[in-house]
Amino acid sequence: MSLLDRPLRAQAAAIAAGEADPADLLDAALARIAERDPALNSVVETFPERSREMLAAAPEGPLRGVPVVIKDEWPLPWRAQRFGAAEMLTEVAPGESGPYRALRDAGAVVVGVGNMHELGASSTGNLSVYGPARNPWDTERCPGGSSSGPAAAVAGRLVAGAVGADGIGSIRFPAAYCGLTGLKPTYGRAAMAGHHMDGISTTIVSGPLCADAADARLLAGTLFGEQLPAGEAAGLRVGIVRDTVTDDVAPAVRDACEEAIRALVAETGGELVEVELADIVPAAMATVLIANAEGLAGLSPDRANRLDPELSPIARGLIKYRLLLPAAASVKSGQLRAAMRRRLAAAFAGVDAIAWPTVPAVAPPLEAPLVELPSGTVTADQANVRGAGLANLTGIPAISVPVGFDGGLPIALQLQAGWGEDALLLDAAEALERATDRRWVEALPPLARPAEATEA
Amino acid sequence: MEALDQAADFVPSGLAALGIEADETELAVIGAAHATFWPAILELLEMDLGDNPPERSPDLSRPPAER
Repeated sequence: MSLLDRPLRAQAAAIAAGEADPADLLDAALARIAERDPALNSVVETFPERSREMLAAAPEGPLRGVPVVIKDEWPLPWRAQRFGAAEMLTEVAPGESGPYRALRDAGAVVVGVGNMHELGASSTGNLSVYGPARNPWDTERCPGGSSSGPAAAVAGRLVAGAVGADGIGSIRFPAAYCGLTGLKPTYGRAAMAGHHMDGISTTIVSGPLCADAADARLLAGTLFGEQLPAGEAAGLRVGIVRDTVTDDVAPAVRDACEEAIRALVAETGGELVEVELADIVPAAMATVLIANAEGLAGLSPDRANRLDPELSPIARGLIKYRLLLPAAASVKSGQLRAAMRRRLAAAFAGVDAIAWPTVPAVAPPLEAPLVELPSGTVTADQANVRGAGLANLTGIPAISVPVGFDGGLPIALQLQAGWGEDALLLDAAEALERATDRRWVEALPPLARPAEATEA
Repeated sequence: MEALDQAADFVPSGLAALGIEADETELAVIGAAHATFWPAILELLEMDLGDNPPERSPDLSRPPAER
């Protein structure tokens, strides 16, 4: 097995022990990208000389010599972010973003920039100025958005770790669709400097996308600037709600998530607790409204009339619609944010985590991102935002973990915890991996399987 | 009925009031977005949240301060 196919932590350990040459690992990652990425379109740019310079200067950090991908949402010293779009509404320039500095200071090597949904505006990843990234489990399916490229790159085993961003589920959606572990940290905890919305957005955070929780812990610790201690999640009290986010879900997803929750409770010796939490779906709408209002910072009617014609018609239309959203809705969204934060604080007095499916159905086709739910056929975006917005609205951390398959496509469970309890979510994810013999986190998509396994 | 007519007119009149130009494709996108968002926005506006005023300078990295 190539070192590149081993976990992020194993790559770092092999290099630290002198058992592997990081220059070889970097070359292997570049070769893997050249070999596999034409099918995935997950990495939109590599810069071998810059990567080699990073490696040459890499300090003895916890990720020394390990290649990673960073989303096209973060500036690098040699490259401004494009946000998956022909044009952005704010001025951007190359620079040392917070995630770049964190990676550099940990000794990691940025090997490429990950694709993303245009302007971060969808849970699907089916639209980008670079063309869509593709899901390694089925390249005709959505990889999830907006951190589509980072997820597809890790799932395709081009790299073992990637940095994404999550403003309304944008780490958790692609983690779910691609069968990865994706952490949306507590608001403000992960490196954010240099983001074009830093200081404006109250929903966006950076975070890791990795194959499993131990790798996500390592990469999250890098982004946090502090190690996250591992625990057992003993006696975990898992809260479940009865709401659209648990009821209007594809049967296979519901069954897999319920089985995973039972396994998690059994593994930790914990308990299942029914939680009353009203207005989850309106809270998601409030998140959308707040995020859209915050996105108005660089917009005016005149600016809206001068949009780059290379932006997709969808992006142009949505940008113009933003200007029509009523201010009263933003104020009401702020009130609901306060209400949901108080309700969650009360709920977390009685439970350690709240669980429901990350997304209600598996990855839809790229060409028609619709999902079939008990309530009918809806767009994936409409369906997905319901369960994701709450964490961004309130600031709490949330993690998506793989818990099964439906038709060969990953199913995912979301766990949410109280403010600052990011490590507990990783503990819970590791407990779930133990309970399921790691079969979901070690499953490989067809293009990443060894040749003999693919033939078998 | 009058309210429905006003809703149907919301997009073109809103764009016109702001002086925003939109081609047919953009108008179709805006119309679809409006059809998706507007019922949820109205639902949000109708919510009674009188007992839940916004937090003062909320720190989203922490639980809400006790009132």
